[in-house]
Amino acid sequence: MSIDVTAGQQVRASSEAVPAKPRRDLTTLLFRIWAIAIYAFLFLPILIIVVYSFNRGRALLAWEGFGLDWYTTLPDNPVILDAITTSLKAAVGSAIIATVVGSLAGIGLARRPGRWVVVFMAIVFLVLVTPEIVDAIALLIWYVRIKGPFGPSNTLVNYGLVRLWMGHALFSTAVVTLIVRARLAGLDESLEEAGADLYAPPWRRFRQITLPLMLPAVLAGALLAFSLSLDNTIISTFVSVAGASPWPVYVFSALRSILRPEIAAVSTLMLLLTLLALSMVALVLRRGGDSAEDVAKTITGAG
Amino acid sequence: MTDRDEQITRILAPRSTAEQVSRRLFLKGGTVALFSTSVLLAACGSDDTTGDPGPSTGGSTGAPAELEDQLNFYHWAEYDDPKVFKQFTDEFGPTTKIDIYASNEEMIAKLSAAEGTSGYDIVVPTGVYIPQMATLGLLSELDLERLPNFSNLETQYTNQAWDPGNKYSVCKDWGSTGWIYDTTVIDGEINTWNDFIAAAQGPASGQTSVLDAPGDLAGIYFWANGIDWTTEEQADLDACGQFIVNDLAPHLKAFDSYPGIALTQGNYALSQVWNGDARQGLIAVGDKDPDRYKWGLGAPKTELWMDNWSILAEAQNVNAAYAWIDFILQPEISLKDLEFHGYNTGISGVKEAAEAADFPFLDMVFFDDAQVATFEPGAVNNATETLVKIWDDARAAAGA
Amino acid sequence: MKAPRFGLAIPAWVLFVLFFVIPVGFIAYYSFGYKPFFLTGRQLATDELSFGRYGEALSGTFLQTFRSTLQISVLGTLLCLVLGFPFAYWLAIRVDPRWRGLLLGIVIVPFWTNFLVRTIGWRILLSPEGPFWSILHTLGLRDDPLAVLDTRFAVQLGVVYNYLPLMILPLFVALDRLEPTLREASKDLGASRFKTLRQVTIPLAMPGIIAGTLLVFIPLSGDYITAAVLGGAKGNMVGRMVAAQFLTAQNWALGSAMAMALIAMIMLTVGVFAVIGLTARALARRSRRVVLTEVPA
Repeated sequence: MSIDVTAGQQVRASSEAVPAKPRRDLTTLLFRIWAIAIYAFLFLPILIIVVYSFNRGRALLAWEGFGLDWYTTLPDNPVILDAITTSLKAAVGSAIIATVVGSLAGIGLARRPGRWVVVFMAIVFLVLVTPEIVDAIALLIWYVRIKGPFGPSNTLVNYGLVRLWMGHALFSTAVVTLIVRARLAGLDESLEEAGADLYAPPWRRFRQITLPLMLPAVLAGALLAFSLSLDNTIISTFVSVAGASPWPVYVFSALRSILRPEIAAVSTLMLLLTLLALSMVALVLRRGGDSAEDVAKTITGAG
Repeated sequence: MTDRDEQITRILAPRSTAEQVSRRLFLKGGTVALFSTSVLLAACGSDDTTGDPGPSTGGSTGAPAELEDQLNFYHWAEYDDPKVFKQFTDEFGPTTKIDIYASNEEMIAKLSAAEGTSGYDIVVPTGVYIPQMATLGLLSELDLERLPNFSNLETQYTNQAWDPGNKYSVCKDWGSTGWIYDTTVIDGEINTWNDFIAAAQGPASGQTSVLDAPGDLAGIYFWANGIDWTTEEQADLDACGQFIVNDLAPHLKAFDSYPGIALTQGNYALSQVWNGDARQGLIAVGDKDPDRYKWGLGAPKTELWMDNWSILAEAQNVNAAYAWIDFILQPEISLKDLEFHGYNTGISGVKEAAEAADFPFLDMVFFDDAQVATFEPGAVNNATETLVKIWDDARAAAGA
Repeated sequence: MKAPRFGLAIPAWVLFVLFFVIPVGFIAYYSFGYKPFFLTGRQLATDELSFGRYGEALSGTFLQTFRSTLQISVLGTLLCLVLGFPFAYWLAIRVDPRWRGLLLGIVIVPFWTNFLVRTIGWRILLSPEGPFWSILHTLGLRDDPLAVLDTRFAVQLGVVYNYLPLMILPLFVALDRLEPTLREASKDLGASRFKTLRQVTIPLAMPGIIAGTLLVFIPLSGDYITAAVLGGAKGNMVGRMVAAQFLTAQNWALGSAMAMALIAMIMLTVGVFAVIGLTARALARRSRRVVLTEVPA
């Protein structure tokens, strides 16, 4: 196959920057329509939940008029508040564990590879491939077997919370490991070597070179671990203990019986809080000098 | 310039810019740390307000023992009035926490797997599962002396075959199984289980739901064919399996144990349903469409199930548990709860009180002797494993 | 002084071994046991080990359910790819860099709602006399109530919805990393837009495509909750069967055998697709091989 150069075609030097010309042709229009459709698709159920959170009726799915009833009764509902606080506590704990452990592993994988990498990556792969139901059952049986911090004898921390932390951290750690490793692997070790050549001790090299380089990945991993934990349903259902049932377990139980608008109300509030928190984080990152694009990329883990 | 280029430049830049790097780091890292710490603190903080050191207020039953701060329920969904829980906390002190399960099997599986670490105090098993739970050592033996209100229960609801002498349980309520159907889809009446099957295979095909419980599913076949639904005969079980998987499952829209509340959305044209749930559904559609749905009690035979209060062997808050059971056995409280869930609580005089208070659809709560004679209690026996397999296969067949 | 070879990963090793390898190892061990007579109350006995449970597990019902689960997950993954790729392409290549981050962030926002609640949202939308039907009804387009809920279609829809962001993200990252100069070079050399897409963009974005596909396919195969919420009886996925063995049937041995079988079958499926993909790539490369003939002296 020969390379065909159409006569008369001007070959532009690639160093010449091509101005971003908005091509107002059919393709652009189609792309935009597609994008809007996708956005609409993604937001439709969220919108509905927000709308139905104002449902007066006793059952979520049966609209019975507009009102703030279920918002006002929320503070009186200890079960829901418990579920939310448990979820938050579990999410923070497991995110911290996953981020620390996963980041260290990611650094190790990227900077200190050896024969152990094969076995380790195999385990990480298995963790990601195993269906959550298998993890859930295995963990419950295991927790009961080893008791210790996972049993009632644990007086320091609520043992139900400890169970949730480790259960959620399992998958999250694997994810964070991969993200951090990918980030670091893409970056040359020569930077750290340069630091060494300039007489920087190992810890300083880590703090001032490696850490900033991988920070977006670590942050992305932490945020991902946090949201994965908040969403985790199957493992939580199996290992949860009296008084330490997270939010998804509550919703799942309600789903199998009767859904009430209060669930929609709580979800709407949580959505607002999340947006608020994200904006705060974005604002701080922005102030720190990142561009809007960097900020969003960090938050979404695409950086 | 790409992200990475920018980073490299900053790092290799002179000292002044290097300080920018560390400041930025601090900002990022600090914010995240601050954010998560504040969330953690807030979460921890709100927890402290619920821990009331419960003084023994004595309450209406004069319980002498010091009550704990907490009472943990492992419970069915929507089965007790939240106001009743609140009243208990106000009068006695312990705060109530409720976790939910959707079937007895699930509850037993979780409790036995947890081997005493589940943390629950009170559980609400259906009667026929109690022998198995007792064998597994899950339940503690009740000291009926601590339940003076036990005498409020009518004697026919005590001392059941599966728990002689009420060693492990106290009746919470009892009910039965029937159907509810959309009269706009199904002409004629459904008076027997055979009518139910005919409708499911006919006008309501693809719009039918059955209870998500192996016993009840198999019951449809057994009751329709005059066979004892606790049979252990292999021939009967095989025939049942054949029918359910091949002739009924393909017509099913859902395995739903709470179709009553879905009435307002018109999800199913025909549903197998428990009486209290059907009643809640009819109340919900009562204003908009009162004549659209009709309820029928299973005939010629149907189920008698009884749900009970039991205290777990591992319970940490035993005094509070006894206080609760005694509390709910009071006639006024029982009536209040009945209004919420719609099942017969078995307390003497509750029927008259409900009639006096003019609760709706009382014919669905209280049954006369002739009806009760058609109710059969179930059993957990050698056939159970086969029934579960039939149910599993039915789900696969319905989903195909 | 460098840190020990694998030292940094020690915490991770501990975590994975302690909370994954050993517990799942126990499950593997249980899969060789059996369920004792029910009156003893126990769910598991391992005094006699055998492959019996595997025989039961790989029976008609399990395989049938796995097949229909596979249909849903393969179709779901493909749909995510088809829906997500144009979107990711648009976002990574067609959108002004200033807006990229924000628009991407907006994609993630729904993801921050609990996934059960999102699925419930669809339940409301699709309910027979719900909002969608009301709109159609008012427009005079439909009289009968919607018959979408509790069908296979609803399950497919819900599944695609829940996993679409997981496909879009890796695709975006891969496409974003693409040097625009490569595409420009291709166009400068006369390739049509479509040809550029086919021979430059997609192959270069392949790691992202693969990542997205795996990220969607694998969890999807084990997921059963979306199907349970939206599919009614039609939403029977193999994950539910495994759960039911532990919860309803209390047959831990059989459940363990099913769980092991499920892991193996998912890995097998991924392996099969990997082989197909590699073969396709090898074939494509062969057809594009440039043969340099010797220049006659």
